[in-house]
Amino acid sequence: MNLFWREMKANRKSLIIWGIGLLFMVVAGMAKYEGYSSSGQSINELISQMPKSLQAIIGTGDLDLSTAIGFYGMLFYYLLLMAAIHALMLGANIIAKEERDKTAEFLMAKPISRTRIISSKLLAALVNVVIFNLVTLVLSLAMVSHYQQTGEQLDDIYLLMAGMFLVQLIFLAVGAVIAAVGKRPKRAAALGTVLLLLTYLLSIAVDLNEKIEWLQYVTPFKYFEAKRVLADGTLETTFVAITIVVVTILIAITYHFYQKRDLQI
Amino acid sequence: MNVIELNNLTKTYGKARGISNISFTVEEGEIFGFIGPNGAGKSTTIRTMLSLIYPTSGSATIFGKDSVKFAPEIKKEIGYLPSEVFYYDNMKVKDLLKYSGSFYKKDCSQRIKQLAELLDLDLNKKIDDLSFGNKKKVGIVQGLLHEPKLIILDEPTSGLDPLMQQKFFDLLKEENKKGTTILFSSHILSEVQKMCDRVAIIKEGELVKVEKISTLKENNHKRFKLETKAPMPQGFLQIAGVQNLEIDGLHVSFLYSGNINLMLQKLAQLELLNLWIEEPDLEEIFMHYYEKGN
Repeated sequence: MNLFWREMKANRKSLIIWGIGLLFMVVAGMAKYEGYSSSGQSINELISQMPKSLQAIIGTGDLDLSTAIGFYGMLFYYLLLMAAIHALMLGANIIAKEERDKTAEFLMAKPISRTRIISSKLLAALVNVVIFNLVTLVLSLAMVSHYQQTGEQLDDIYLLMAGMFLVQLIFLAVGAVIAAVGKRPKRAAALGTVLLLLTYLLSIAVDLNEKIEWLQYVTPFKYFEAKRVLADGTLETTFVAITIVVVTILIAITYHFYQKRDLQI
Repeated sequence: MNVIELNNLTKTYGKARGISNISFTVEEGEIFGFIGPNGAGKSTTIRTMLSLIYPTSGSATIFGKDSVKFAPEIKKEIGYLPSEVFYYDNMKVKDLLKYSGSFYKKDCSQRIKQLAELLDLDLNKKIDDLSFGNKKKVGIVQGLLHEPKLIILDEPTSGLDPLMQQKFFDLLKEENKKGTTILFSSHILSEVQKMCDRVAIIKEGELVKVEKISTLKENNHKRFKLETKAPMPQGFLQIAGVQNLEIDGLHVSFLYSGNINLMLQKLAQLELLNLWIEEPDLEEIFMHYYEKGN
């Protein structure tokens, strides 16, 4: 457990900074809702006049932006993107850092197996991701309930957070696998970020072009997006299943390769 | 018992670097030198032994156990000082050593205090703020704090001032007296000569020789230096066993291996002003091994 606590400590500062970012995002984002709703102008109307591509980019879709929860759904796109970036960087760096900072020679001379190292690190990363998710949940509940009109359901926020958690798991595993398999651990985070941005752009492209709808299976950003979850009132089983399978496979590959390969020192 | 056994240990990466067919054994309680120029493959060998990297072929056995299969178990009794020490920068020395100790199932706090005092290391400083030499000291304490049965040192003295080096050597000798085996890798011959019982010489990834330090020095090589009254006749010393002959006016020096009496009879024919007969440095002997290969 010493390695787990070391990682918790090492990631503490970064987690606090992300938390402040979330606070700003949720508070400032929902404050805009107040501005729109009190101006008397129908925001739905305003948005519907925008070109379709712009709508896709800001992530409105079919959301009812006149309700607090609907407006929050738009904000959720950005929270999801933040969560994905956090999870990916965390997954990549937590594995790659021993080699990047050349502390691998210290750690690997200790009586600890590589499997144990990965387990401790992934556990620490998982706890960080859960904290990130809970912070987002608490902030979201607080802000949405602050602005809601009577009768809106807050339960959907729990559902959205569950979806976000699954997306976080995917990107955590993607980051970990890149760092564990790659020959250049220093580049793991950068490579992962490129991949993340590509899938993000892909999710926008899918919104714009119905012909490539099948690509929604490739980009986790489409799995549990707000408009789908808010409309259905549930997470889609297919995507939950895909997530579980993908994460399991990626984690297995992470263990396997990190065990087998030479460390870069 | 053999603490270390390398059997045709080979590690190739790409084309340039690597080691091939390294075999030697280190016995319990020995101080074993591992010497060669920079880039000869010393660190590669050590890292393979510690399974930071895996052998391409061959094997390393430590405490009688395969170094890859039983890596975590073996490492309980190994203390390792890497050639370059890198630590988690934002940690204090104290915290790093505590962290290091936490991997072993024993209380190391007394030992940490004792070693830090001996080496004059401030435990409350941040590692980031330490000089190179002080970082090295952290490495030494980190490698010794769990009282390992095998200490592996990769270029341990770089960055330490002579006084500290001496303290460090004394410390190692003390550990050795308690039965600790030490593998001492270095490119500096004099420190190996001072510390080690036996030595493995490595060059361009291949083992050149494993020899007792005493045998190496004995090998009947003597360094002769003489000053003659008149210039020495040409070809006077063209006899078997003379190497590295250098003539600088009236000063002559050479290495000789062979019957000393013959040489002295020969020299008696000259009118000498001065004569020195010395043990050659290991350095000179080693140069032979390196030159022979070329």
